[in-house]
Amino acid sequence: MGSIEHRPRTDRSASGHGAASEKLQELFAVRLQSERVHFVTLSAALARAEECPAGIFDDLTFRAHRLRGAAATFEFANLAEAAGTLEKASLAAASSRAAHTDPDVWEALVALVQMLGTIEENTRSTPGVQPAVRAD
Amino acid sequence: MSLKHHTSIMDDPAADLHDTILSHHMGNTVQSRVLIVDDDDLVRARLAALLRMSNFEVEVAGSGEEALRILGTAPCQIVLTDWQMPDMDGLALCRYLRTACHENYIYVVMLTVRDAKQDVLTGLAAGADDYVLKGTPVEEILARLEIGRRITHVEQSLRTSNRENRRLAITDPLTGAHNLRYLMKNLPRELSRSRRYGHPLAILSCDIDGFKQVNDRFGHQAGDLVLQAFVTRSTGCLRKTSDWLARIGGDEFVIVLPETTLPGATSVAKKLRRQIAAQPVATNTGLVTFMASVGVTALEPADVPSGPAAVEELMHTADRNLYASKRGEINGLD
Repeated sequence: MGSIEHRPRTDRSASGHGAASEKLQELFAVRLQSERVHFVTLSAALARAEECPAGIFDDLTFRAHRLRGAAATFEFANLAEAAGTLEKASLAAASSRAAHTDPDVWEALVALVQMLGTIEENTRSTPGVQPAVRAD
Repeated sequence: MSLKHHTSIMDDPAADLHDTILSHHMGNTVQSRVLIVDDDDLVRARLAALLRMSNFEVEVAGSGEEALRILGTAPCQIVLTDWQMPDMDGLALCRYLRTACHENYIYVVMLTVRDAKQDVLTGLAAGADDYVLKGTPVEEILARLEIGRRITHVEQSLRTSNRENRRLAITDPLTGAHNLRYLMKNLPRELSRSRRYGHPLAILSCDIDGFKQVNDRFGHQAGDLVLQAFVTRSTGCLRKTSDWLARIGGDEFVIVLPETTLPGATSVAKKLRRQIAAQPVATNTGLVTFMASVGVTALEPADVPSGPAAVEELMHTADRNLYASKRGEINGLD
């Protein structure tokens, strides 16, 4: 897995360490935990699915797209990229009516869930610090 | 696994650029209101915080439809919109903004993760002025919004200037009354309206008696004050919603009284003369007492002239009535 790179700003910048900014970062960290739960749930549903699970692919596409946008906005570039990979893979799987075992979707989904887990772990191990800066 | 900040602001040239842009914004007194449209609460909050710190006023909406509701009550110069949203998406919002009539131009920036070449072209074709990918460095987003701020500010200045030029083009600078251009544009409309609705129309043709003598004896500044007093006192005799007055020459004025018959117009003319004679005008060279001659021309709907020469014909009649009035031949105004 590649690095999870976040480029935090200092108090010299517009998005500095103001209370509001910190609060938003905390909310985003909570959001990422929630996203991880959702993706794990969707992966379980996908594993159980039969034939073409178009509805699950659609859910994955929608959720990955939202996460991609939010992660990019909060400057989690690698997380945004991972979410984008899943978005594209699940979109392609839905349109090609791929099976629930579609390897591209699974590869992207596993990578994204692992990355979210790493971020969550980093956040938990360093309370008060902005969500994961780097996970090697 | 280690936790560390990837970079320090101290060695980040982009941060310096960001500070430069930010300080420029802080020193900028031009307020711009940005409407952030995104269905993600956290994204909206994050962008709003960044923009507020860069001296933008911020409104937020969770969908295109909500954005339109906000724009209806709080005009925004810039719209920063996501693409994919429930209800009305960013593309539909762009298209709507470009076809709807707004008082001022709205600069639209599409901020999305859709990075395909075709997406960019589609966004711009829908009416976006700029297309920025989410994840673009904050300083670049702010720089692009600054372009929007400049453009909308210039557009507003031009619009204000045009409005003022249009006003000046139909206004007599000395008295503030309408001028001949206004009369030539609007009198035909009054004639048409009178014919169409079958309403009478009256014209008062006025000039100031012995105006040349006023100028010769008291000076041109005093003459100017007399002209201004004529307009002020005349306007006080008119209905604000329908009647209007235009200065068409040195001391010549025309007053248009829609839906007014001859008795009504004669009554206005008498009142106007009383107001003018009521008190002298104080000037640097002394008190100036003056009087105006008023020719009354009243038209019943059937008599309202039509065709390209209608105004000229009417003005000719009004002139004749003015000179008849001066000779004391008609109207019985004295």
